[in-house]
Amino acid sequence: MLKRLLITLAFLLPGSLHAADLRVVATTNSMGALATAVGGERISLTVLAPPDRDAHFLQARPSMMRDLRRADLVIAVGAGLEAGWLPVAVKRAANRDIQPGQPGHFQAAEHVELLDVGESGAGHTHASGNPHFNLDPRRMRTLLPALAERLADIDPAGAPAYEANAAAAVARIETRMPQWQATVAGAPGAVFHHADTRYLMDWLELPTLGYLEPVPGVPPTARHISELAESLEGRDGVIIHAPYYPESGPKKLGDALGWPIEQRYTEPSEPTLEGWVDLIDGWVDALAPRD
Amino acid sequence: MNRHLRLKTSHYALAGAAVWLTAQPVQAQDSPLPLNPKLSVIVDGVYYDDSLDGHGDAMLGETAGIFAAHGHEDEGEDDHGGHEHGLEQGFNLRHTEVVLSGSVDGMVDARLNVAISDEGDVELEEAFVASTGLPAGLRIKAGKFYSGIGYTNDKHPHAWDFVDQNLAYRTLLGDHGLSDTGLQLTWLPAWDHYTLFGIEAFQGDNNERLGTEAEHAHELPDRDKAPRLWTAFAKWSPDLGHDHAVQLGASAAFFRSHQEMHHHGEPDEHGLDGDARLVGVDAVYKYDSGRAYGQGDWRVSGEYLWVDKNLEVAHHESNPGVIGEARDFSEDGLYVQATYGIAPRWEVGLRYDAVGFTNEKRGPRPAVNADYDESERWTAAATWHISETSRIRAQVAQVSGAVGDHREDYTQFYLQYQMSLGAHGAHTF
Repeated sequence: MLKRLLITLAFLLPGSLHAADLRVVATTNSMGALATAVGGERISLTVLAPPDRDAHFLQARPSMMRDLRRADLVIAVGAGLEAGWLPVAVKRAANRDIQPGQPGHFQAAEHVELLDVGESGAGHTHASGNPHFNLDPRRMRTLLPALAERLADIDPAGAPAYEANAAAAVARIETRMPQWQATVAGAPGAVFHHADTRYLMDWLELPTLGYLEPVPGVPPTARHISELAESLEGRDGVIIHAPYYPESGPKKLGDALGWPIEQRYTEPSEPTLEGWVDLIDGWVDALAPRD
Repeated sequence: MNRHLRLKTSHYALAGAAVWLTAQPVQAQDSPLPLNPKLSVIVDGVYYDDSLDGHGDAMLGETAGIFAAHGHEDEGEDDHGGHEHGLEQGFNLRHTEVVLSGSVDGMVDARLNVAISDEGDVELEEAFVASTGLPAGLRIKAGKFYSGIGYTNDKHPHAWDFVDQNLAYRTLLGDHGLSDTGLQLTWLPAWDHYTLFGIEAFQGDNNERLGTEAEHAHELPDRDKAPRLWTAFAKWSPDLGHDHAVQLGASAAFFRSHQEMHHHGEPDEHGLDGDARLVGVDAVYKYDSGRAYGQGDWRVSGEYLWVDKNLEVAHHESNPGVIGEARDFSEDGLYVQATYGIAPRWEVGLRYDAVGFTNEKRGPRPAVNADYDESERWTAAATWHISETSRIRAQVAQVSGAVGDHREDYTQFYLQYQMSLGAHGAHTF
């Protein structure tokens, strides 16, 4: 009886059978940028986390499960970034193709070398390593062929296209890398809100002068800000934070040190390679020496 | 089942589950499953006081109505083997939750929730396996678990927005909601709007308020064979973008076999036998402001529950003439609550909860009929989320309760700390 009901209902489903594109769900716009760069015309993309908010603190929402239910591939950052929402959303999406361990579950963190692995400090730290490699052109470049390979596993007919697209995107990033590095040469470094710039600064070989959060995941305290101000007295630098973080901490520190304050999102505004290149341009501009 | 026996079976279940979880082969390198299994411990302490010298919380568990008025309070400790989470005046250590969860083999997840009381009693709250590998959006869950009915029902105390369970659940289902041993099948069709259907079949022995097997029920007929409790639920959520989310739900539960013994050991001891049903609707709205640390976020939810028991007198110690007479009971309850992030990591909440707008007992003779008053409460809470894993909450409530045949108006005060060690699965919507 139930089975018959299910079968009857299954035939009434609107629009579930016609789509020829590979349905890809990315957790962030950076992962979405990889997907569109490699997948091109062959995929249709949905991004779960809006670029203007912190991907740490999302909640598993019904609309995510709706998207994941129909996905052929989910592309996640991994390393605990989406731990608060993605595992439960993937589980509840009841889609066996995208469960962890399946080809339809791509975790970028498994394809790059992570920094800060095993650091289990206080607050919101990821023992599996820092997951914020999306601002690192070296690691994003590495991910492109890895994703092309995965897409080809799922959609063998598209293998040549994925490989060619990935190669073109790698070339595009490699052209820009020396320019970005030249722009920031000699820059004094910066204070950030959270360790989501760890890889960016590592790549650009610039000093991180401090974090506004006393421990990851805990909002800035007055005491921590004044300690920062004291220790950085007399130095040059810039304060960069995402617009969704409270502005009072950066302002207080900026006033104390006479440093400029820049606001930058850590995710591209569009899930495209173009959008991601613009994002890095923006960060490089914010970090560049001022004269 | 008495406490001793329950403790023992829980130990066996724990040991069994642990062996079963660890006996799985180590995952191969190329199979990137999450770290297995996750363990977390949640410590939950409450300082409680009220304007009734500390009796007010226990009283909330016995508001006048079709559950309290029929002898449950007389039976005390051994009533249904359940436990009333009455807070005492002063310091209370509520159940310490130990949660073990993980993926068994990539196609099955398992979760174990154990509650340890301040006296060291161990109780298995949940122990279940759930499939992740079925086709067509189907999932099966088996074991002991919180039913998927309603919105609040499957939330553990550490996921509540207020210190205590709302009055509607506490009165009609018990502090834990509906929790039993059985099977759940859910279906998430690949539709344009999130829609979930679920059905459950349960043993129907282990509930606090409904679907119970009476103690000392030698005089009552044998119960129907299990499954004695069936439920069905549906949830629907339109896509409203990244900022707003709404989920609507409807649930029903049918208890094929429900028994009660009243006034056990007294001359007017009598037993009732029959069935019971529950119908509920729920709605949730969440607003994500996009600002960090929960500032500006809203969570609003409400539920309405209605319970109806159709019973017959199956035993009467002093008046066998009434055997076979019908006794129909019904009671309803609701809550509406909202929380708002007033500052980074700071949240305030307001709740209205009430039971007994419908609250009656009906029989074939007017002498049997009874009507009970409603009880209601307003609650305000302020929560400071010190970090993602620890919080402190202050809560005050003003109760207007019907107790026996009189009313009690009183004020409750709670101060709570909740800390969790280690990681457990992410919370659901």
